[in-house]
Amino acid sequence: MATYPTQYAHPEALVETDWLEKHLKDEGIRIVESNEDILLYDTGHLPGAVHIDWRADLQDSIIRDYISPEKFARLCGRHGITPDTTCIFYGDKANWWACYALWAFRLFGHENVKILNGGRDKWKAEQRPMTREVPKYPATNYPVPKKRFDKEIRAFFDEALTHSKSSKPLIDVRSPGEYKGEITHMPEYPQEGVLRGGHIPGAKSMPWKTATNDDATFKPADELAKIYLDQCGVKPGTDTIVYCRIGERSSHTWFVLTYLLGLDKVRNYDGSWTEWGNKVGAPIEKSV
Amino acid sequence: MSRSCGKLDEAGVALPPDGAYPAKLGNIINLFESLPEDERRETLVSYADNAKNQEPRAREKFDLADVRKDEECMDTVGVYLHVDKNGKAHIRMTLGPEVQTLTRSMTAILCKGLEGSTPQEILDLPSDFVTRIVGAELVRVRSQTIYYVLTRIKSICKVYLDRQRMAQVA
Repeated sequence: MATYPTQYAHPEALVETDWLEKHLKDEGIRIVESNEDILLYDTGHLPGAVHIDWRADLQDSIIRDYISPEKFARLCGRHGITPDTTCIFYGDKANWWACYALWAFRLFGHENVKILNGGRDKWKAEQRPMTREVPKYPATNYPVPKKRFDKEIRAFFDEALTHSKSSKPLIDVRSPGEYKGEITHMPEYPQEGVLRGGHIPGAKSMPWKTATNDDATFKPADELAKIYLDQCGVKPGTDTIVYCRIGERSSHTWFVLTYLLGLDKVRNYDGSWTEWGNKVGAPIEKSV
Repeated sequence: MSRSCGKLDEAGVALPPDGAYPAKLGNIINLFESLPEDERRETLVSYADNAKNQEPRAREKFDLADVRKDEECMDTVGVYLHVDKNGKAHIRMTLGPEVQTLTRSMTAILCKGLEGSTPQEILDLPSDFVTRIVGAELVRVRSQTIYYVLTRIKSICKVYLDRQRMAQVA
């Protein structure tokens, strides 16, 4: 009979709302809000939190890629972040964009990262303090990262294709309708410009939301293990690639697999379906 | 040959003259265009805060109401139309809690900016003013629902006008 972990592999990667309210002014931490709703931070945020916009701050405006290491260093410097700062990310949509920002910080080698369990919605539902005051921190001189950890935690199209052909674990975290090819957009979202519906051949469907409770907190370790180890066939030491439409929902699953289940070879294919579904020559599967 | 010297959008396409918009909406457009980016954001948030005030009030009566949850929007959006005896439209709207901030802003802007316009004027309204208010930086694929609010308002005006025409024919 299979045994399942009773604790997260890296429990230190999560903070609870109760803890954070008591540590809002701690030295050495920076609370970072990252949302889908681009004006949400402006309507009120956690006291002391800075705002990082997933597109304007993290993505290159010309090439579909992330900012340069120089820009990342400037971004951190502007928010008073040093390499030793513990960045605690939170946001709307059950932390999709918080996980995306965390993943992007890891791309640049920033190690001290955590997620606020339950995100913005849980904090607000618990009527914890919010403010519209935008904090100012003394600028720091964040050293320009020497490398980007693309090879370690990011997958590109060719790698995802090789993965598919060699039947290695691929997890499609989109909604079942998107996976089956019945729809080419997320339910409740506008079409984001994809020509074909379906999924990468061999990918298993496990919507991101499977990993969360109704209050947007993460499910316990044993439940996550059953979902991903048993149902998706993911194993420690096996290369695994996760994807969605543009990489934000899959960042959430990447966080679950990497930090909560402790799998060390998980990569996020951020090109995701908006690349694959439009790519000339890319094979797809429909409704399985 | 004369050349147009009116305002151009980011693609270099001539924008409609300011007179193409109802006066109240034109004033709001001009206000937003005069603001630096940070104040533009603040003003958008102020409008979003104000969206609740655009809901139907007690004892108000409407000629048409259209409350529904569409596939491309996060939550239910209700549009209520009253056309007074002078043919002027008065619009109220309700938004579900999941509707995004920018969409809330646009709701308040449109309810105020279109107050007192005729249904036909609303139907004829070009949609290019949206980016002039919101600014190119905030218009993204996932914020396209700001156009959705305008579409819903136009839609209820069209139904109203169609019914008026049908009544005249009958």
